[in-house]
Amino acid sequence: MQIYLPIAEIPVNPLAVMFMGGAVGFLSGMFGVGGGFLMTPLLIFYGVPPAVAVGTEASQIVASSVSGVLAHLKRKTVDFMMGGFLVLGGGFGAVIGIMIFRYFRAAGQIETFISVTYVIFLGVIGALMLTESLRALLRSPDAPRKRRKRRSAGWMAAMPFAMRFRRSQLYISPIPPIILGFLVGVLAAIMGVGGGFIMVPAMLYILNMPTNVVIGTSLFQVIFVTAIATVLHAAANQTVDIVLAMLLVAGGVVGAQLGARAGRRLKGEQLRALLALIVLGVCGKLLFDLTTPPVSPFIVETAS
Amino acid sequence: MMMRFLALLLLVTPANAAQPADIAVALTDDLVEIDTGFSGAELTLFGAVTGVDDPQGKVDIISVVRGPETDFNIRRIVKHNLIWTPGAPHTVKGAPGLYLTNATRPINDIAPLPDQAAHGLGLDALPIRAGGREHGATDESESRLFAEAFLTEVEFKGLYRDLVGGVSFKKGALFSINIDLPATTPVGAYEVAVYLYRDGVLLGADSAKILVNKVGAERRIYDLAQKRPILYGLLCVALSLFAGWLAAMAFRK
Repeated sequence: MQIYLPIAEIPVNPLAVMFMGGAVGFLSGMFGVGGGFLMTPLLIFYGVPPAVAVGTEASQIVASSVSGVLAHLKRKTVDFMMGGFLVLGGGFGAVIGIMIFRYFRAAGQIETFISVTYVIFLGVIGALMLTESLRALLRSPDAPRKRRKRRSAGWMAAMPFAMRFRRSQLYISPIPPIILGFLVGVLAAIMGVGGGFIMVPAMLYILNMPTNVVIGTSLFQVIFVTAIATVLHAAANQTVDIVLAMLLVAGGVVGAQLGARAGRRLKGEQLRALLALIVLGVCGKLLFDLTTPPVSPFIVETAS
Repeated sequence: MMMRFLALLLLVTPANAAQPADIAVALTDDLVEIDTGFSGAELTLFGAVTGVDDPQGKVDIISVVRGPETDFNIRRIVKHNLIWTPGAPHTVKGAPGLYLTNATRPINDIAPLPDQAAHGLGLDALPIRAGGREHGATDESESRLFAEAFLTEVEFKGLYRDLVGGVSFKKGALFSINIDLPATTPVGAYEVAVYLYRDGVLLGADSAKILVNKVGAERRIYDLAQKRPILYGLLCVALSLFAGWLAAMAFRK
C-alpha cells in the first residue's frame, strides 16, 4: 500500500513511516528525549526532501510534547515565568532560524547545510554523552556520588531587570533565559528539533534551575517554539506535510509508551551510553553521505 | 470521449483502402487524478489506421506523450574541501515535465532526422539546452555536458523514456498503446501525439489531450498550503496539539 504525500509529493509506504515514528518514539520514551534529532535524519534517509523533513518534524514535536507537558502541569513542575522568557527568546530565534533556512534554500544548499549542522551537533552531543556515561559506568558502584550544589549565579543576578523566579527558586535577570531561548529557537527552526538536548543541560548547569522543574519547563517552551516554527515553515517555505506528520505521530505515541516501559528496566548510565551510540551512528551515516562521492554526479530538480 | 470512440470505429470501414492513409486516436481516460492512493496510472491509447489494408507490418506508428513545460535546474555535485555539495545550477528551460515515446520499431529506422527534429520524436531529438546562470554565457561543451547529464537523470527517474514495440495491433486497422505514467508524474496539461509512417514518409498524425490533476484531500491540502499558508500552518499546529492530547488521553492510567 502506498500513500501519496501532498506536500512532500512522493509516494510512501504508510506502515513504514508509522514504524519509523514508532521506533523513534520508542527511543524517545525510553530515554526521555524529544527524538526530533533522530527523526529528521531518518526522514531524509527515507527520501523525504530535507526541507520538508525539517518543517514536518517541527509539527510532529508539537504533538509528541503535549502529553509530557500535561503530566508536568498536573505535578506543577513547570516554571511559567521562566518558560515565558524562554519562549520570548525562542520566538525571535525561530524567525532568525527560518531566515537562515530560506537563505540556504534559495542558494540551493539547504540539504548540505542541514546535514552539516546535524553532523556537528550530533557529533558533539554524542561524544559528550558517551564519555560521561562511560565514566559513570566505570565508576565503582559504592563510590560516593557528587551531589550537585546549586550556587546562586551572581553574574546573572547582577544583570539588569533581575527578578524572582519562584518555582525555580532563583533571583536572576531574564536576559540569560531570553538569550538561551533565542539560540535554541534558531536551532529548532533550522534542524526541525525541539532542542531539549541543549535546553536541559543549559537550564541545569548555566541557569542553575532545580532538576524537578527542568523537564516540564523545557517541554513547555518546546511546544511554543516548535508551534511557531511550524507556522513559519508553512508560511515561508510551504514545507509542512501534515499527512506525514500525522503518520509519524500515530506511530510515535505507541512507540513512546512501549519505550517508557522498556526504559524502566535499564539504568540511567546504560541508557545514556546506548543513546550516545545511536546518536553517533546517525552522525556517522550523515558524515559518510557528505564525504562519499555521490552515485550520480548530477542532480536535477524543478526550478521553482 | 464516447463520441470519439464511435467515430474511430466508423473510420474502419471495409472500403478503407480507397481513402488516403491516415491515423486517428482516442484515450481511455483524458483525466488522471492524483489522490492519496496515487502510485502511477496506466492509460490506454486506442487508434485506427485508415487507408491501408491490414496495416500491421506495413506501417510504423510513433506515439509521444509530453507533460507540461517545466524549467529544471541541473547541478553538478562537486567536492568542497571534504564535503560533496551541489554546485551552481544550469537551467533547462521549457523542457517537457514528462516525455514518453513508444514506437513499432526504433525511431531512427522509422522517421528521417529532419522529421525527428521538427516533431521532437525521441530523446535524441529533444531540443534540450542547459544554460548557465551567469548571463547565460556558458561555453558550448559544458552546456552540452549538462544537457546530456539532464537526459540521463530524468531517464533514471522514469520521467523520460523511449520504448520500442509497445504498439499492439488488434483486428484489422485498430491498434492500442499502453501509457504508464509514473508515481512522480507532474501535474498539468499533457499532449499525446501519434504519427503514422510508411517507408520513412509521414502519412498522417493525430493528437489527444490528458489533464493530470490533484483531487480530493490531496488537492485540498495542497491548495490550502499554497494559497493560505499561514492558515494551513495554524491548522497543522491545532491538529498536532489535538493529536498529542488524544494520545495522552488514550494512554492515561
